[in-house]
Amino acid sequence: MFQKVLIANRGEIAVRILRACRALGVEAVVVYSQADRDSLAVRLADEAICIGPPDAKRSYLSVPAVISAAIVTGCDAIHPGYGFLSEDETFAEVVRAHGLTFIGPPPQVLDRFASKEATRRLLGGYGLPTIPGSNGMIRDELHALEEAERIGYPVLIKPSAGGGGKGMRMVRSARELDASIKVCRSEAKAAFGDDSLYLEKWLDDTRHVEVQVVVDRFGNGVHLGERDCSVQRRHQKILEEAPTPALSVAARAELADRAIRAVVSAGYENVGTLEFLVDRDGDFYFIEINCRIQVEHPVTEMLTGIDLVATQIRIAAGEPLGFSQADVEVRGHALEMRINAEDVDHDFRPSAGVVERYLAPGGPGVRMDSHLYAGYEVPPYYDSLLGKLVVWGRDRGSAIDRARAALDELVVDGIVTNIPIHRAMLRNEVFLDGKMTTNLLDRVGSAAFVAAAERR
Amino acid sequence: MGTDDREAAERLADHAAIDSLADQLIPALIAKLGASGLGEIEVREGDWKVRLRRPADGTTPPSRKVGDRGTRSGAGAVAPAASSGTAARQQLTPVGPGRQSVLEAVEALAVGAVFETDGAPSTPFDSSHGRDPFRAIATSPAVGFYTPRTGVVPGSRVRTGDPIGAIDVLGVPTEVVAPADGIVGASLVEPGEAVEYGQELVWVELLSAPAGAADPMTPGS
Repeated sequence: MFQKVLIANRGEIAVRILRACRALGVEAVVVYSQADRDSLAVRLADEAICIGPPDAKRSYLSVPAVISAAIVTGCDAIHPGYGFLSEDETFAEVVRAHGLTFIGPPPQVLDRFASKEATRRLLGGYGLPTIPGSNGMIRDELHALEEAERIGYPVLIKPSAGGGGKGMRMVRSARELDASIKVCRSEAKAAFGDDSLYLEKWLDDTRHVEVQVVVDRFGNGVHLGERDCSVQRRHQKILEEAPTPALSVAARAELADRAIRAVVSAGYENVGTLEFLVDRDGDFYFIEINCRIQVEHPVTEMLTGIDLVATQIRIAAGEPLGFSQADVEVRGHALEMRINAEDVDHDFRPSAGVVERYLAPGGPGVRMDSHLYAGYEVPPYYDSLLGKLVVWGRDRGSAIDRARAALDELVVDGIVTNIPIHRAMLRNEVFLDGKMTTNLLDRVGSAAFVAAAERR
Repeated sequence: MGTDDREAAERLADHAAIDSLADQLIPALIAKLGASGLGEIEVREGDWKVRLRRPADGTTPPSRKVGDRGTRSGAGAVAPAASSGTAARQQLTPVGPGRQSVLEAVEALAVGAVFETDGAPSTPFDSSHGRDPFRAIATSPAVGFYTPRTGVVPGSRVRTGDPIGAIDVLGVPTEVVAPADGIVGASLVEPGEAVEYGQELVWVELLSAPAGAADPMTPGS
């Protein structure tokens, strides 16, 4: 096991990783930018080190600053959390070159799964169904038109280097496609520094279902079931739950089983998530793999009792997994609501400011992962996630009841939050029936969605 | 009242004395005080008595090293973090170089402390309510290991932007520069010590009070 871990992230996930380190008896050092000097992670940490100014490019995204921080504090491993440097294979490589361990897949594994398009081909070869799409990157307009004709409209134009739904565009005709390629290229270039695009068949009314996998260095792999992340706003997940209401028990087992077999065969290592789209017929298509811990990992922890972050650290330290598929028991139902500093009434614009009052909900099956405290000033420089309210119940109905009660207990004063969208969701019939698709919010608009729920 | 009533010759003599203090004695004393860690230094020379005193509120070199947060524990952890945050913010705003003359600075010192004749409290370096107007601090531009520049020692005169040391970041040096014109004082970190971004490294005693510093010639203004 490691002696000392550098936590190269901020916000709730820095606190979460710190807790995992404590549980493992490993010392931890929290890095922070000047904007996060008073953050909860810094306050709770045994040791903290300022690595740069508020601008993430010069702090949390600065490879030299993060690695130098690990060296000067005597750390032997770096946990990147999610976002920032978590899926940067160059960073992982430089970490290793300095004699440190990157807590995540080894650099050569990250490299193998770096391109979404290549990953789809790789895992497709190991038996995962993929969405019909272009054969490789599109070379030019003519190639794109030919490929789109073959796939059938509507098609989705996707940047190879993208993530979180950024830079994607759906087109319904050859004319729209022709008009959009150039725009998408320049957007992809600006956002990701890479203008490679590919096409995918557009699937209507899909669910987003993902499978959590853990694989150790020795090729022992288990899946920890799936999560349903269909509640999204503009491709950003808002509420996640497990098990998915979209699939039968048998279909869930098949999905998870095929996912774990494919990634183990492809040589994956450490924790990871395979994302799938599930269509109206219950057919599933692999879309991408996330080679890191995910925001919504607590949903799975609630169902299985397995500490995913601690497992991630143990695997990176070279330990065997220590449990088999037969040891994994999935119990009950869990929901996670992402509490964001966003103004639902103003197109979800981010808010910042001082949290005047903060009260986390409690009770059986309730977990709040957050970096908030009363008096904390939410800095304007980073993402808007304030915390995750996670609830567990014996079944979906009781989990939703607990979610409503917990949401009513939650107090975050002084800053605008997206709590209204969760209140509305927990009263929405489509959601209550478990029939939500990824376009549930965008189809009517989030503001209208909230207003409709308030009238009920 | 005050200086206007004095004889011109008397004022000239004072100024000559102040000039010589400014050129020789004061810089040496400032450097000595900065480097020694002493709270107060007093020198008598003829009719003049020069006393330099540090503020009492802890501008002695902070001993916190990277990693010292590990000594915090339990419920006490929260409050010290908040106060260290305040201290840390101060270190991020090095006092800029003033544009007043050396003479004016010494005059300020003179009224505030140099001509002290009794036991009245004098606080020329009082920073208890904010920044120290007579001192700038060079802070670390990066996370890494600190090395002072060869030849830059307490007492060295430096100008704004002069390199006074370097931070080794993964083998690549990043320059530490003087934040103001002045005289190098005490170093707050040892050569080779690990430092964090923004950490206070070296005091630079200003030769001139910065614009906007309280003017002791006109109390209450």
